Amino acid sequence: MGLETKPVSTLHETTSYNVEDFPVPTGREEEWRFTPLSRLKGLHNGTAAGSGAVAVDVDAAPEVTVETVSRDDARLGRAYVPADRVSAQAYASFEKATVITVPRATAASRPTVVNVRGAGGGAAYGHILVTLEPMAEAVLVLDHRGTAVYADNVEFVVGDGAILKVVSLQDWDDDAVHVSHHHAALGRDATFRSFAVTLGGDLVRLSPSVSYTAPGGDADLTGLYFVDAGQHLEHRLLVDHTVPNCRSNVTYKGALQGDGAHAVWIGDVIIRAEAEGTDTYELNRNLILTDGARADSVPNLEILTGEVAGAGHASASGRIDDEHLFYLQARGIPHEEARRLVVHGFFAQLLERIEVPEIRERVLAAVEAELAR
Amino acid sequence: MTVTDRPELEGLGNYKFGWADSDAAGSAARRGLSEEVVRDISALKNEPEWMLDLRLKGLRLFGRKPLPTWGSDLSAIDFENIKYFVRSTEKQAASWDELPADIKSTYDKLGIPEAEKQRLIAGVAAQYESEVVYHKIREDLEEKGVIFVDTDTGLREHEELFKEYFGSVIPVGDNKFAALNTATWSGGSFIYVPPNVTVEIPLQAYFRINTENMGQFERTLIIVDENSYVHYVEGCTAPIYSSDSLHSAVVEIIVKKGARCRYTTIQNWSNNVYNLVTKRAVAYEGATMEWIDGNIGSKVTMKYPAVYLMGEHAKGETLSVAFAGEGQHQDAGAKMVHLAPKTSSTIVSKSVARGGGRTSYRGLVQIEEGAAGSASTVKCDALLVDQISRSDTYPYVDVREDDVSMGHEATVSKVSEDQLFYLMSRGLGEDEAMAMIVRGFVEPIARELPMEYALELNRLIELQMEGAVG
Repeated sequence: MGLETKPVSTLHETTSYNVEDFPVPTGREEEWRFTPLSRLKGLHNGTAAGSGAVAVDVDAAPEVTVETVSRDDARLGRAYVPADRVSAQAYASFEKATVITVPRATAASRPTVVNVRGAGGGAAYGHILVTLEPMAEAVLVLDHRGTAVYADNVEFVVGDGAILKVVSLQDWDDDAVHVSHHHAALGRDATFRSFAVTLGGDLVRLSPSVSYTAPGGDADLTGLYFVDAGQHLEHRLLVDHTVPNCRSNVTYKGALQGDGAHAVWIGDVIIRAEAEGTDTYELNRNLILTDGARADSVPNLEILTGEVAGAGHASASGRIDDEHLFYLQARGIPHEEARRLVVHGFFAQLLERIEVPEIRERVLAAVEAELAR
Repeated sequence: MTVTDRPELEGLGNYKFGWADSDAAGSAARRGLSEEVVRDISALKNEPEWMLDLRLKGLRLFGRKPLPTWGSDLSAIDFENIKYFVRSTEKQAASWDELPADIKSTYDKLGIPEAEKQRLIAGVAAQYESEVVYHKIREDLEEKGVIFVDTDTGLREHEELFKEYFGSVIPVGDNKFAALNTATWSGGSFIYVPPNVTVEIPLQAYFRINTENMGQFERTLIIVDENSYVHYVEGCTAPIYSSDSLHSAVVEIIVKKGARCRYTTIQNWSNNVYNLVTKRAVAYEGATMEWIDGNIGSKVTMKYPAVYLMGEHAKGETLSVAFAGEGQHQDAGAKMVHLAPKTSSTIVSKSVARGGGRTSYRGLVQIEEGAAGSASTVKCDALLVDQISRSDTYPYVDVREDDVSMGHEATVSKVSEDQLFYLMSRGLGEDEAMAMIVRGFVEPIARELPMEYALELNRLIELQMEGAVG
């Protein structure tokens, strides 16, 4: 039978620590066809000179341990195996890794902030491992700023019954290139909340993924992006349900404005035959504010069992509803203000999910600034 | 286990078209593909030079293009073992009685002559292996200038019209299988509807593969001129063999300003047929193109009927229903390309997987820059009736214009206990209840079919669902 000869999923077929296991992308591959390879500055084909400076500095809660370790530390790379060439390149090239650990049954008293600052130069590579031991609880902020050509992998190991809330801000300068994989491995009854905010950079390609090691895992992946003229912001999500009775929800919303603004959102969910009782939903919405912007939205779903609690996805792209504007303008609100309010409303529901008030304020202000451009 | 107590269903297997008739022509036919085979096909049909050139170009491109790496696994297709051309009878018949007895009995069993007698269809074409063996169109339509002939005759008798449109919608090198079809095409329908003519009753074609390891490459070209309407219906069956056959058709449709075309397919190939089909229509200003696509049979189907919306207010619609049972993969979907302002498209896809089968919805909605005011909605629902079947959704959306509305929604559900309980508490058996739920699930599409096809679809569902429970 021809049907059984292929890997179970047609999404994400290869994973390896070895760069050579991934051919140099040509742009025709499914996973690369949306990405403008010429703007990756050589991260994808080994020509990027590794002379860049990216500093990782952690402002940790007192209960949390932070270590800087060398690349041969045995804890690294156990939760996540690179799934594409750039990710493997980052894994093969980073020199120091940051390891953040929250001890068993400890609740961190305040958010731990990881400042990632790019200071220009050539390519730089990074690796971060965040481990929550069983029953631990923490909020983590990853704050990317400055300019860089940066490829990194971030592993989140969420132990049994632990709760991890992550906000990742991609707030780069206009010329930055950032290719990043964020992988969360969830233990029994673990809770993972991830919020990605991507605003700055010439090209940002963020690939958050989730796997489950035991039943009861619960993941919410939320995202917000604002794409300006000439920017390429790409989010590629993968939730792989391999064990029974886990839950996932993916909600990404983006606004696009200006010539050549390009948003790509790929949401892959696999429900394997063993993963009975899975409950999953994915949603992507794009608000196209001006001509010349382009939004690609692909929510893929592969389901190998009939015993699902719920499975679905939805994607919608369009411009601001004229009726909304009319409603507001009929009440005396000027056009520009009405437009601003509608975009606010579009993002408001998501912003509420950001755990850290300062970050919420900052994102709100950034959206305001984008709208004023 | 039988689904109902209707006696006519008893004794039928899960596939009722699986018999094979005597096959002298098929067993004598040559296997494999080469330039010689292509030249022979062209020479047998006395084709003009330009068509032979196109065929040879198709052959070259077929050799050069890779097999698709997505969708189904096609690596098991042995192109060298396929028979690319089988001539079943020397002469096209004008009445069923002129056909060789074994071929006539095939179509009798399929019920085609009966439908024609009852005037349920306005014209009928019957293709057996590589060529159309029977052809008939109602006299009044012929008087109005409607052309409905097999594609070989279309080339012979209407060469100018043919040359203008052949390959204009699907170029020779569009994909590997379109190239293969261009190289080896034979049979299919050629339809031209002149301006302001409404063909009220469907035109129908019936495709049958009889030979083992047959490659059927029909080519259909439909031109609906301004403000006209036509509905074309095709059905497909084949015998059950232990080794595989290949069906790789190309269908090109041109719907001119203000015209409307509806194309209905009920594909029920046996489970040893690879069904790899390229179907595409262009719709001009104010035109409407509707694909109604039922995929029930075949081993593997990869088929994504497309509409290119070229003129303002053009409209595209695809209604698709797929069933995959044991060993089947239905990788079906639709493609809508919005190239002009104020165009609209709708895709509704329903699929049911059972017994370890796999259904995939794979679709593309592309809204190009300048297609302002366009709208598209995509809705796919999948129903899973057991634990071993599989359902995938791969919807691609590419929007390059701000003034548009685009929505996609998918749900995958299992048959709910509540629904089953409700029906069973009213005295239905579990399998009857299951079949009824599935029928209800596909009803929005079944009601768009001509009545006899809707009945056929319902009956096929019952057969497919037979033994699905317990």
